[in-house]
Amino acid sequence: MIGEDTELEWGTLSLNKKGEELCGDSVRVVKAKPKEATLVLADGLGSGVQANILSTLTAEMLSKMIEGGVEVREAVDCLIRTLPIAKNRGNVAYSTFTITKVKPDWSFTIYNYDNPEPIFLHYGKETPLIYDELEVGGKTIHRARGRLAPNDVLIMVSDGAVYAGVGETLNFGWTRKEIGEYMSALYDPSISAKNLATLLVDHCRVLYNSRPGDDTTSLVLKRRKRVNVNLLVGPATNAEDDTKMMSLFFSKEGKHLVSGGTTAKVAARYLGEKVETSLDYIEPNIPPISHIEGVDLVTEGVITLNALVKLAEDYLGKNEKYFDWSYKQDGASLLAKALFEEASDISFFVGCAVNPAHQDPKLGISISTKMQLVENLTEQLKKMGKHIRVAYF
Amino acid sequence: MVNVSICVGSSCHLKGSYEVIEAFRNEVKKRGLEGKVELKAAFCLGQCGHDGVAVKIEDEIIPGLRAENVATLFDEKVMPLL
Repeated sequence: MIGEDTELEWGTLSLNKKGEELCGDSVRVVKAKPKEATLVLADGLGSGVQANILSTLTAEMLSKMIEGGVEVREAVDCLIRTLPIAKNRGNVAYSTFTITKVKPDWSFTIYNYDNPEPIFLHYGKETPLIYDELEVGGKTIHRARGRLAPNDVLIMVSDGAVYAGVGETLNFGWTRKEIGEYMSALYDPSISAKNLATLLVDHCRVLYNSRPGDDTTSLVLKRRKRVNVNLLVGPATNAEDDTKMMSLFFSKEGKHLVSGGTTAKVAARYLGEKVETSLDYIEPNIPPISHIEGVDLVTEGVITLNALVKLAEDYLGKNEKYFDWSYKQDGASLLAKALFEEASDISFFVGCAVNPAHQDPKLGISISTKMQLVENLTEQLKKMGKHIRVAYF
Repeated sequence: MVNVSICVGSSCHLKGSYEVIEAFRNEVKKRGLEGKVELKAAFCLGQCGHDGVAVKIEDEIIPGLRAENVATLFDEKVMPLL
């Protein structure tokens, strides 16, 4: 099932206009079936609460109706008649939007209403899409069709991105053409959708000198390859099950990651190899990694996993730590790269042995801590869209 | 060559492995013993109950070490082996 198999992955990041607590851009993704999805990026008129309500309504209604099989024309017509009217804005109710609908054959249709044109990176190069016009309820919607090849990327942005820099570093903002060139220059198949969205939005933040003049959002869709990664945490409850656990773990395809000192010793013994430890603390807070021939990564256990859970929380949110873990070589950063970015499928092999070393209450680590960490981590990985399997021993 | 292994297991890490390693590196440098003392990391040496970091000097395990005691330990346990 893995191998040449591909699937859809998406990620989004928003910057709020300076001084605003709510973002006026909203993103909704509805995924009814494995290879189908409807993505909506809506940008509400104005900013703050009003924009937030408009865009939330727009994104929510459009995504649900279209996924439910309602024609786009009909959905938009229904939306126009539903949106509240802003009396102080010349009686307009307004939210721009981009809808992308992907079908199981990887063909997609974009319906764009007044947002900047999405950027289509086809085999890593920006490829123009051909638009036709659709009149709905007095509004002109631009429609384009295309097909996603493996590793292709579709980038949707709100107009905050093309205004990036206005009033700060660029007189006329960051043009749509320049954004396209920037993203195709940065593109690499190994970068996740979330991180592509982050790279774009973070550059907007830089151009705005961290004082965005408008809400800025990027929503990235990617057809990625399925990749399985295996993670071994802790020796089995009964030592006699260790061999069974190791043989199941090492027989799985994909990278093999081992977390925990004792676990590493058990794995090395099974492989007939040595654990090569290292003194190099890259991060004073994270114990050094070690090496075993035949294992792709060996890290310390609970402390590293604890740091990894924090990185996962950040990745699902503002994704500020990405700029560190993308290049750092400590155990937590290397795990983040393998699990958040490289893997689409993760098989956990969790041993529930109680580590006598961790029973000192002063340390604040225990078997329940480890189980809690595994639970938190799998929960967050699921939110990232990963396929998770957990086996306990 | 004298082998010194410092535990970097979870428990010792929390009790200061990083600082102990730095202290050992300083001692080796200060005394000009590069090439005569080899510093390595070790996994759990089974001394987690002690307050401090476990260190193995050749075949002897010394539990409960703190960075401020590294110099004294160096005098007592490492120097005689050189």
